[in-house]
Amino acid sequence: MGAYGYSLHPYFKEMPAIGKPLNRVNKQNVEEIKKVEAEIAQEVERVKQTGKATEAMNKQGEMTAWQRLEYLVDPGTWCPLHTIYDPEFNEEGTTGVIDGIGKISGKWAVIIASNNKIMAGAWIAGQADNILRVTDLAKRLRVPLVWVLNCSGVKLMEQEKVYANRRGNGTPFYRHAELEQLGIPVIVGIYGTNPAGGGYHGISPTVLIAHQKANIAVGGGGIVGGMNPKGYFDEEAAEQLIDATRKFKAAPPGRVEIHYNGTGFFREVCETEEAVLDRIKQYMKDMPAYHPDFFRVADPAEPKFPIEDLYSLVPFNQRRGYQMAEVLARLFDNSEHMEYRPGYGPEVYCGLAKIDGYLCGIIGNNQGMLGNNYPEYTDQYQGIGGKLYRQGLIKMSEFVTFCGRDRIPIIWLQDTTGIDVGDIAEKAELLGLGQSLIYSIESTDIPMMLIVLRKGTAAAHYIMGGPNANNNNAFTLGTATTEIYVMHGETAAAASYSRRLVKEKDAGRPLEPVIEKMNDMVREYYEKSRPVFCAKKGFVDEIVNFADLRKYCKAFVGAAYQNPASFCPFHQMITPRIIRG
Amino acid sequence: MVNLESPLSGKILEINMEVGQQVNEDDEVIIIEALKMENPVYCPATGVVKEIKVRIGDQVNEGDILAVIE
Repeated sequence: MGAYGYSLHPYFKEMPAIGKPLNRVNKQNVEEIKKVEAEIAQEVERVKQTGKATEAMNKQGEMTAWQRLEYLVDPGTWCPLHTIYDPEFNEEGTTGVIDGIGKISGKWAVIIASNNKIMAGAWIAGQADNILRVTDLAKRLRVPLVWVLNCSGVKLMEQEKVYANRRGNGTPFYRHAELEQLGIPVIVGIYGTNPAGGGYHGISPTVLIAHQKANIAVGGGGIVGGMNPKGYFDEEAAEQLIDATRKFKAAPPGRVEIHYNGTGFFREVCETEEAVLDRIKQYMKDMPAYHPDFFRVADPAEPKFPIEDLYSLVPFNQRRGYQMAEVLARLFDNSEHMEYRPGYGPEVYCGLAKIDGYLCGIIGNNQGMLGNNYPEYTDQYQGIGGKLYRQGLIKMSEFVTFCGRDRIPIIWLQDTTGIDVGDIAEKAELLGLGQSLIYSIESTDIPMMLIVLRKGTAAAHYIMGGPNANNNNAFTLGTATTEIYVMHGETAAAASYSRRLVKEKDAGRPLEPVIEKMNDMVREYYEKSRPVFCAKKGFVDEIVNFADLRKYCKAFVGAAYQNPASFCPFHQMITPRIIRG
Repeated sequence: MVNLESPLSGKILEINMEVGQQVNEDDEVIIIEALKMENPVYCPATGVVKEIKVRIGDQVNEGDILAVIE
């Protein structure tokens, strides 16, 4: 029993069961998935090892960003995001920040640290977009944003990729202002030298806690001046620069004596690195948050079946069907749920379930054949799971709308090959119904999380809670079986080269050169839809091991219910009543 | 006796059982390829395989008897 009683317990205390025990472990499938998970782990390790050695930094009395996070975050709660995100394929192999969701002092926060192992936490390409994802996340979940800042400013050799532009590195300054205006606190612990961009990064949060050696400033004092400008460098200029540099001994501006003793920008100054993090922990204790049990509908419970079963249940072979219900049974509390309209739109699962005791809407693609009588608008072909048809699109729109009305966060589980196509599908209004779903999602203004379990394809990837098609997607996860592309490589090659093949054939020319190009395209599609590529480009916010999927679901739901902007009293909810009838 | 009927039209891609073999309800005993997808056919009952009426590569229609479980 939690801290309080539970409302509407006849609906939520015990819900209908879903799933059954695993028949047999599919060893080959387990091995194939774990092989990809090992490749991803290797990528994560590479990012962790990039830059200065940990030992060297510790010797200088400096903790690494990774060590700072480990000290700061409550054990067992860290859910990293964007670990291998590197959309510009930097020489550093990372965007230079480390972020994720975790608890600090028992409360969920979005946490981001400058990776001080790489050029003292410089702004490098792709970092601005990484930070935008993080500020969006704090905004969507309405939880505090905690910065562990150590930012040396622009990597000057690549300023054109970093400094300017609509989504350039200046964006955090106004995004912090936006969060603050929404009532979402931004807490920053400041280390090291933070000039220019680093300075604004430091000043824009709500509460500034500085390490005694930290500084923030409009500009750096470390630039050697006094040279005779010629517009180019020659040997004389180089000698002049060497001489000036030897004599240059300026301390960086904006140190503690200025911004604590003088301006009072720093609210607190700490002598040790750990003490800065201790003070963040103290502030987090006082951040706005409901008691975790306030919004629970039942005691938290683990699923009846082990999550490791997913390694056998989700086929690595993308063409192989499976039962989505068995996947859901490994994610839901006590493997219980209330399914919305199971007999309508059979290609889609919609239902309510509990995650860590919290009520959550779930939408996923059922797999396998749907029978001869479906879709109902044609007898010319059979329906198959993974595709979307008229009824499924209508059902999702209804369910999303009801969840919005009842303020229930939604988790999407995508494994879709797209929306039905052709004139029959057009007459069945699928184009309009797809966009209707986007409109319905946008109308809800509730947090959503997406798991691209296997395929995210065509417009179906957008409309099923995709990050590209709504403001509500907090974050998107991929797995070892994730593939994201507009269409399968073979389909794309056929679409691109079929007419060319006819032309070559009619002209009596050999087909091999075209066939070679087609196969190149198939290979390229494959390589550019693999999980690691999806994570590097940001198609997903993190690739997660199957064994950790429920952990992320718990983090998402827990954060979504921590301090919601609005809510519906449980006894006034309509979705569970509609399901029960 | 329980008949294992094909739930869809398609081509037999895999047969994961032999005559005389013990099988369990919900085992994936046959894979049928249709609409570019490989669709598992689940065993309707626990028992022993008495007869398999199809071979790999056969085309089957919805409702065809694929095997008999005793």
